[in-house]
Amino acid sequence: MAVVIALGLYVGYHNARRSSSSPTPHLAQSSLAPDFSLEALDGKTMRLSDLRGKAVLLNFWATWCGPCKIEMPWFVELQKHYGSQGLQIVGVAMDDASKEEIGKFAKDMGVNYPILIGKESVGDQYGGVPALPETFLIGRDGKIVDKILGLRGKAEIEDAVRKALDTRPASNQAAASSQATVPAPR
Amino acid sequence: MAVLRNTLSLRNQGGGAVLGFVTLLAFSSGIPALAQVPPPPPPVTMAAVPLTKVVRAQQTMVSLNFRVPPGYHINSNTPKSEFLIATALKMDLPTDIILGKIDYPPGEELTFPFSPDEKLSVYAGDFTVAVGVHPMHSVVPGKYVMRGVLRYQACDNAACYPPRTLPVSFEVKVAKEPSSGNKNPAQSPHVHN
Repeated sequence: MAVVIALGLYVGYHNARRSSSSPTPHLAQSSLAPDFSLEALDGKTMRLSDLRGKAVLLNFWATWCGPCKIEMPWFVELQKHYGSQGLQIVGVAMDDASKEEIGKFAKDMGVNYPILIGKESVGDQYGGVPALPETFLIGRDGKIVDKILGLRGKAEIEDAVRKALDTRPASNQAAASSQATVPAPR
Repeated sequence: MAVLRNTLSLRNQGGGAVLGFVTLLAFSSGIPALAQVPPPPPPVTMAAVPLTKVVRAQQTMVSLNFRVPPGYHINSNTPKSEFLIATALKMDLPTDIILGKIDYPPGEELTFPFSPDEKLSVYAGDFTVAVGVHPMHSVVPGKYVMRGVLRYQACDNAACYPPRTLPVSFEVKVAKEPSSGNKNPAQSPHVHN
């Protein structure tokens, strides 16, 4: 045990020395996605746990992020295609741009899923979001199924979406799996 | 942007020790860790600027040589989208030393895997920004330090990183204007009647 602790401290020391230290907390696969409440572009507050029962694609992005812009039309298609099967895509804008600017950007991109105004505290919950885009796939049971950092192919994202859709809601959450739709940005 | 920037700065203040231990525990306990988080890009750097002589009441251009780390690019001063963050130098000069023009190089027009159909105007590798330094006549000759920051936002081929600022400083030696000798010709005699 002492060896493990010593090794842990050694690794930690070197991580701390590196300016490229990794984020805390470290999210493990199958851990429950941290819950949060954020304001959407329409002014309403959205809580992640309200989507329990659905498969959620949680995408951190920003208006200044070129690769994020590439993914957005894919997300629009995925929402159209898999929405009826219980997929809910949620965008979190980690941006200093105004709500109006973010709304304009989302509208120009034809986004058909809700965009939330990000906060530092939510970024911290998800490991610090060191680069964008960063996408978490959350199963119907609220557990993290996959994480995609940076721009990847659409097929890879779609595979992860299917994986999230294949999960089963926790038994006491089945009732919460409502068919209520979430408003897209206005 | 502050959202990400602040998060990064918090993480860089020693969370690594905790993380290392947690990571180790994760490995040893067999918990499947999610994809490893890549380190943030190394920062843009500026080469040391040799002491530059500047003359009072004149503008002297001082060249600042920056380097973008390999594999990354930053937006030029004139990116092609209103949403992109332009590279910009902001100087805060001593009293009576006026900031002249700032000459940014044109960006390289490149395409990237994330934007194959759209050329972006970027700086990659080395680029030079020239800053005009214009000491007023009232400045006492001597050495002065010019300070400022270069704000930029970097991306690689697949991801973008939060905007950062690079402190910039260089020294100038302010000299008097050259003596003009017999610059003023003798005045014509005034005739007073």
